[in-house]
Amino acid sequence: MAHKYHLLAMFLGTFANYVVALWPIPRSISTGTVPLKLSSAFTIHLQAEFSDPPSDLLSAISRARSRLSSDRFERLVIGRGATDAQAIQSAHVLTSLNLALLPGSPIRSIAEESTRAIDTKSESYELSVPNDLAVATLTANSTLGLLRGLTTFEQLWYDYKGTKYMLNGPVQITDNPAFPYRGFSFDTSRNFYPVSDVLRTLDAMSWVKLSILYWHIIDSQSFPLDVEAFPELAEKGAYSTDEVYTREDIKQIIQYANERGIDVVMEMDSPGHTTAISAAHPEHIACAAKSPWSKYASEPPAGQLRIASPSTLSFARAMFDSVAATLPGTMMSSGGDEVNLPCWEEDEQTMADLAARNISIADALNEFVQTVQGVITDHGKVPFIKSDMVLTHNVPVVNDTVVVVWQTSEDAAAVAERGLRFIHQPSNYFYLDCGAGDWLGDNILGNSWCDPFKTWQRAYSFDPYANLTAAQHGLVLGGQMPIWSEQSSPENLDPIVWPRLAAGAEVFWTGASLPDGSSHPNETSGTRALARLNELRYRFVDRGVNAIALQPKWCALRPGECDLDS
Amino acid sequence: MKLLAVVAFVACVGSVLALWPLPRSLETGSTALKLAPAFDIHLNIAHPPSDLESAVSRTKSFLKDDKLGRLVVGRGASDATAAQHAKTLHTLELSLGHGAPVRSITDEARLTIGTRSEGYTLHIPADGSTATLSANSTLGLFRGLTTFEQLWYAYSGQVYTIEAPISIADSPAYPFRGFMLDTSRNYFPVSDIKRTLDAMSWVKMSQFHWHVVDSQSFPLEVPGFTELASKGAYSPTMVYSPSDVQEIVSYAGARGIDVMVEIDTPGHTAIISAAYPEHIACPEASPWSTFANEPPAGQLRLASPATTNFTADLLAAVARMFPSSIMSTGGDELNTECYAQDPKTQADLKATGRTLEQALDVFTRTTHAAIRAEGKTPAVWEEMVLDHNVTLSNDTVVLVWISSANAAAVAAKNFRLVHGPSDYFYLDCGAGEWIGDDVANSWCDPFKTWQKSYTFDPLANISESQAHLVLGGEQLLWTEQSGPENLDSIVWPRAASSAEVFWTGPRGNLSTALPRLHDLAFRMRQRGVKAIQLQPMWCALRPGKCNIDS
Repeated sequence: MAHKYHLLAMFLGTFANYVVALWPIPRSISTGTVPLKLSSAFTIHLQAEFSDPPSDLLSAISRARSRLSSDRFERLVIGRGATDAQAIQSAHVLTSLNLALLPGSPIRSIAEESTRAIDTKSESYELSVPNDLAVATLTANSTLGLLRGLTTFEQLWYDYKGTKYMLNGPVQITDNPAFPYRGFSFDTSRNFYPVSDVLRTLDAMSWVKLSILYWHIIDSQSFPLDVEAFPELAEKGAYSTDEVYTREDIKQIIQYANERGIDVVMEMDSPGHTTAISAAHPEHIACAAKSPWSKYASEPPAGQLRIASPSTLSFARAMFDSVAATLPGTMMSSGGDEVNLPCWEEDEQTMADLAARNISIADALNEFVQTVQGVITDHGKVPFIKSDMVLTHNVPVVNDTVVVVWQTSEDAAAVAERGLRFIHQPSNYFYLDCGAGDWLGDNILGNSWCDPFKTWQRAYSFDPYANLTAAQHGLVLGGQMPIWSEQSSPENLDPIVWPRLAAGAEVFWTGASLPDGSSHPNETSGTRALARLNELRYRFVDRGVNAIALQPKWCALRPGECDLDS
Repeated sequence: MKLLAVVAFVACVGSVLALWPLPRSLETGSTALKLAPAFDIHLNIAHPPSDLESAVSRTKSFLKDDKLGRLVVGRGASDATAAQHAKTLHTLELSLGHGAPVRSITDEARLTIGTRSEGYTLHIPADGSTATLSANSTLGLFRGLTTFEQLWYAYSGQVYTIEAPISIADSPAYPFRGFMLDTSRNYFPVSDIKRTLDAMSWVKMSQFHWHVVDSQSFPLEVPGFTELASKGAYSPTMVYSPSDVQEIVSYAGARGIDVMVEIDTPGHTAIISAAYPEHIACPEASPWSTFANEPPAGQLRLASPATTNFTADLLAAVARMFPSSIMSTGGDELNTECYAQDPKTQADLKATGRTLEQALDVFTRTTHAAIRAEGKTPAVWEEMVLDHNVTLSNDTVVLVWISSANAAAVAAKNFRLVHGPSDYFYLDCGAGEWIGDDVANSWCDPFKTWQKSYTFDPLANISESQAHLVLGGEQLLWTEQSGPENLDSIVWPRAASSAEVFWTGPRGNLSTALPRLHDLAFRMRQRGVKAIQLQPMWCALRPGKCNIDS
């Protein structure tokens, strides 16, 4: 990351009412005090060298233009847009935005750029919105960078009676992400979500420059994934025939994601969290729905792949192979969390297999992981694995494996000590499902295991480099906030995810320092971010995503006045 | 009230009746029975009121459209044969008891609390002969229709039960079964309120407590005081006009729900200063934490005769907008520092020679007299009887909110009370602090699960001789962190918890309640209310399998 950062005047610190509604905040931004507005004939041009522009770039431009026309989000001040009516009247008019690639940059589709290896993606851009010329310019060295810049450009404008304006011209932005992996982990097994919900979520993710959908598509409760080699898995393991992602659906979702700068990491959680496979293939599952579940699993129903069985190993190999073949990205996860030893120890077949082959459960687990990681790498993909597989079970993993650190933020340092790359997904900062009480049937007054609710402030205060040496910083690819769906479903998807997920998006885009030079996170970063996050929330609602209110609207219209000491 | 509970499903978890709230007396069999394609509901009533006819027609639509598959693995496939060979029910006949008055549901629902007749009996023979629903009021018939709708599952075009014959004699344990919505912190369009009223009626709630205004915004257009909304609403589109109010109270009434409006006074009124700055002490004073429980600060100048008269006139004008016989004047979280530092209030106190408490007494007596003159019984928050020395008439209804432990003290003062304790019934708790730079948890942590609400005992620490003072209770949504975006998902199905506590009575069995609550949530979703999933669907299809010890 060789960009020079211009730490110029920021409004946020000094004029709380003049918020630039950008989220995530660019890594370098300078603004002025001149009102600007878009001409009614405002256009977005691609520079001439795009003789044959990628169609997904054209679509991105067309989406940007459409939002610049249809967004109705007004500035969050008392009186809303009317307050600015006079300024709008005399505002400097911008007639177009020119998009250009830097000389020598390859012209590839956004989808292609989005699915490149995680550490080789180019997302940087420069945006110049002048107050003396009619043309703004956006430059990048990839179409993905242009997409990120368009996303920023869209956020610069408020609406008042159809006119798009801002008060802070000129604007100069030089931006690129602190971390390449900025994700959302989505559990579609505990409860099912229709394709339309996934697509809407991808749109919202792209608005905050998230780069990864980590799709926890299957689990013990249901198997909604149509696997070409084993169609019976979904036929018998999905909640219903309507609650299945067909191969067409998967293709559509991945394409939709990629065109929006999002790569999809599919997780086939194994060998635990696989009970639903037993509906079609009981022969491969130990302790299927065995009682009491609490002895054999972290949650009901119990059931794990028979890791010691050669036929189960071939089944797993074939299943991973069939799924991997449909995934265009360069990453795939085999999960690996919460394996339960008594499940295997009390499974006659597993014990017989172990005895016959004269191996231990640990040996079998190693072999299983090696097998599924082997399939993933054979498909040219980087394997992901859950942190307990490495830290608790000491399973050897492929060198470039990415570890998903989930149990606690404390585990990151231990993973780093092993020299493995990782992403942050700590339950004590990022789990979106915590705090709604225990969902087990008769645990009357139980709280959720990861209480309390993780507020956006909590997530925002996360430090990706905590307890890491400088030499280990390169191992941190980024992080993701997950929604586990035991108590979630299409009914509350938007409100439970948004705007909280945006907190993680900024932590990993903007990184350790805010553009005003202050460190992020710090004691007060949450306060200053709130005004911007309120704006993002209102913009989301305007665009049809049901992000919840973080405060009474009275507070949203008066940044700072609902702080503790104001 | 006789309790003839012969509850069939306790022994047989696999085939629960999807009833919520559970009737107080219920007998079921094990015979399958299905609805005829031409199933009809006959009103055995001359000149039935139009809201009863509408209720019947809604029931018929729900029976056709609910399409609730039984929550078992296979969703009713295992019932297909039984349903196919089942006897067919062609008719449900509704009749009123001998000599019962024929009034509209709306009129019955708005009768004085404690005098409403909500009981009904429902008989569904297993042999296909006519089912009968009878009651002593159209409101009772409406409650019975609501029960009837919940008896049926659907599979492959058949609408059936596997538990005929069914015999129900039902009436509520408490008359006040409510839900409170705050429409001031954030605004909710009329359509959201109507959808909420629908959902409330499906669980036989009787009272919508509308906390319509507060310090943050004044979205109610009051005739004669229109500047309050034109200057105090969040925007001109975020206002409830008199015709909106009329629409809402009519919609509620036709669904067996009375609307108790609350104009919270003298605290929680900062926004009145937008139109009438002369009536508000400490408006938006800083630091707010000295002057109010949450920003913005601001309270009615209760010692000022002009402000007292203004408030009385305002409350009377609001009272005229609402047909209910009950209205709340609020009264929570009065802040004394706001008045101590307000020169106008200090001058008024000095001029009249009153203490602040005495001024509050005069203020309250005046405002209560004003709404009484409009035929309303006043309701107040608990502080008015527990923390302040205010003269209240005996029939005043007291809303207990700070803690369930305070109900006994209210009862000891011989006031009728409604339970809305934050430690059981606050739907907003547990989402973290919303104050800008505070990273703490919500003040009423943790999140109140449906189980927690369900374990509430309305008579805890209340003597037998005081039991008659308990009118019921309500779950409440304060909307600092809520809006139309999460209304359904934060309210449902949790608010159904208290609906059963106050209809059926306390100490319900949580393990057998859960499958019924799943049924209710699935039915609500089918009807367009975004009730959340309480568990993975895997668990919903397998009652008991996701208990902690199963």
